[in-house]
Amino acid sequence: MTPLFQPLKRVAVLAQNTLREAVRNRLLYNLLFFAILMIASSVALAELHLGDRDRIYRDVGLSAIAFFGALIAIFVGINLVNREIAQKTIYTLLSKPLYRWEFLAGKYAGLVGLLAFQVVVMTLCFLGVLWLQNAEITAGLFQAIGLIYAELALVTALALFFSSFTGSYLAGMFTLAFWIAGHLLADLRSFGAHSEVEGLRALTEALYWTLPNLDRLDLKSEAAAGLTLDTGRVIAAGAYAACYSLGLLLAAAFVFRRRDFQ
Amino acid sequence: MSAIRTRGLAKSFRSGLRARSVHALRGIDLDVQEGEIFGFLGPNGAGKTTAIKILTGLIRASAGEAWIGELPVASPESRRRLGFLPEGTFFHEYLTGREFCDMHARLLGIPRAERADRVQQLLIRVGLEKSAAVQIRHYSKGMRQRVGLAQALVGDPALVILDEPMSGLDPVGRREVRDLILGLREQGRTVFFSSHVLADAEMICDQVAVIVAGRVVEAGYLADLLGGQVGGVELVAEGIGEELSAELSRAARRSVAQGARHLFEFSGEDTAEKALDRVREAGGRIASLVPTRRSLEDLVIERSAPETDR
Repeated sequence: MTPLFQPLKRVAVLAQNTLREAVRNRLLYNLLFFAILMIASSVALAELHLGDRDRIYRDVGLSAIAFFGALIAIFVGINLVNREIAQKTIYTLLSKPLYRWEFLAGKYAGLVGLLAFQVVVMTLCFLGVLWLQNAEITAGLFQAIGLIYAELALVTALALFFSSFTGSYLAGMFTLAFWIAGHLLADLRSFGAHSEVEGLRALTEALYWTLPNLDRLDLKSEAAAGLTLDTGRVIAAGAYAACYSLGLLLAAAFVFRRRDFQ
Repeated sequence: MSAIRTRGLAKSFRSGLRARSVHALRGIDLDVQEGEIFGFLGPNGAGKTTAIKILTGLIRASAGEAWIGELPVASPESRRRLGFLPEGTFFHEYLTGREFCDMHARLLGIPRAERADRVQQLLIRVGLEKSAAVQIRHYSKGMRQRVGLAQALVGDPALVILDEPMSGLDPVGRREVRDLILGLREQGRTVFFSSHVLADAEMICDQVAVIVAGRVVEAGYLADLLGGQVGGVELVAEGIGEELSAELSRAARRSVAQGARHLFEFSGEDTAEKALDRVREAGGRIASLVPTRRSLEDLVIERSAPETDR
C-alpha cells in the first residue's frame, strides 16, 4: 500500500463515521421533512398565484433546497465537529496514528457526502412535484442545483473553519453571519460605492473581495425562469467555490494542528 | 529500551480574563521500561492527565521532550503501537460496541480479513460479546470502560496507556481491570496507568512515580520504595491511667481510646519501645504490638502533604 493511500483510507473511515452519526441524528430528519414539506407546498402557493405557475414550482423548490441545505450544513456541520471535542470522543481518535488534518478532512468529506445525499433526496422530491404538475424540467435547474451544492460545500468549510478554534455557539453565529453577508455582498459594495466616506468605501470593497461571494453561486432566478445557463459561468462559479473551500480547509487545518484538547 | 521517556516535560495553560499562567507540569522526567506495569500516582489536579495527554498527542508540551519508544510524541507514528484509554467513558454513543472497535481497527490500518476476528476476540475477552450489537449509549459505566479497553487493545499495542482505568468501578470491575493489566504484562506489553486508587496500584505495579503539583516527588521500583521499611508501630495497651494515656497520645501520631483499651500508633520503633516501658512501669497490660509496613498510601500522603500545603 502506498504511503499516500493510508491517509486517504483513514479519511474515508472518519467520513463514514461522520455519515453514520448524521444518519442516526434526528435533527437531520426533521430538517429534511420540512424541506420536503416546503417543496410540496409550492403546489398550493402556485394555486394562489395568477402568473407563471411553473416558475413558482421551480422558484420555491430551488429556494427550499438552498435554504434547508444551508441549515443542515451550518447546524449539523458545526455540531459534528464540536461534539467530538465537547464530548471528548476525539481523544480516542487523535491518539491513533492520525494527522489532525486527516480528522478535519474526514469530517468534511462526511459532511459533504451527507449534503449530497440531502440534495439528491430534495431534488428527487422537487422533480416529482414538477413532473406531477406537468411543469417543464430544464437543464438550467440541474445547473442551479449543482451550484447550490457548491455553496453548501463552501458553507460547510466555513463551519469547519470556525469550529476549528471556537465552540458551537460562536461557530454557528459566525457561519450564519458569513452566509447572510455572502448573499448581500453586491448590495454592500453598491452601498459603499455611493458613500462619501472614503474609509467606508474601502471597507466595503475589501469585504466584497475577501468574504465568500455566495451570489456568484446563486443562479436560482435564471433557472426558475426556465433559462439554460452559460456553462462557462457555471464552471467558473464552481471553481470559485472549490478554491474558497480549499483555502478555508487549509486554514482550519493550520489552526487545528496547534489546538490543545484540555 | 524505554517504552516511555520524558525529559523536563512542562505544560502551562493560560487561564482567566487576565490570561494568568497555570503550571500543570513543572518539568518531569520519566523512564518506563518495556514489559513493566508503571503506576503514575498522585492526588487530583497533580498533572497526571496533562502528562498523559502530551504522551498521546492531545496537547503539546510547553517545554521539554517526550518519546514513545524512539519516536518523539509529536510524530503520529509514535502512536502506531500505542493503546489509550482516556479518563471517563467518552465514546461515540451512536455506535455499537462492535462498530466502535471496528472503526478504531480501521484507523490503525488492520486488514479487513483480520479485523472482524480480532474485534470479536477482544469483545469476548472484555465480556461484551452479547452486547456487541447494542449502541454504546445503552451501556453501563462498567461496560463502557470495557469497550474502551477493547478499542485500546485492538491494534495489538506494545504500550498501553490507561488514564484512571479503575475510577468509578465497583470492586468486581476493579478486580477485572487489575487482572487485565496483569494479563497484558504477561503478554510482554508495557502498561502505564494513572490512578488515585492506591491499593490497586500497589498490588500490580513494578514501578511508580508520584506526582504532586506538577512535579515528580518520588519515583522508582515499588520494592525499593516500600520494601522492608517499617511504616510505624501499633501498640494496644489496657489498664493504663488517664495521665499515661495522655502522655502516650502526645508521642503517638495517632491514638484511639475505647473503654479500657488504648491504641497508639507510633512512627518510630524507638518511641514505641519507650512507650512499652512506660506501660509496663505503670502496671498496664500489652494487648498487642504490631509493626506496620509502609504502604503506597503512606508514601503518597507523606510526599503530597508538604507540596499541597504550600
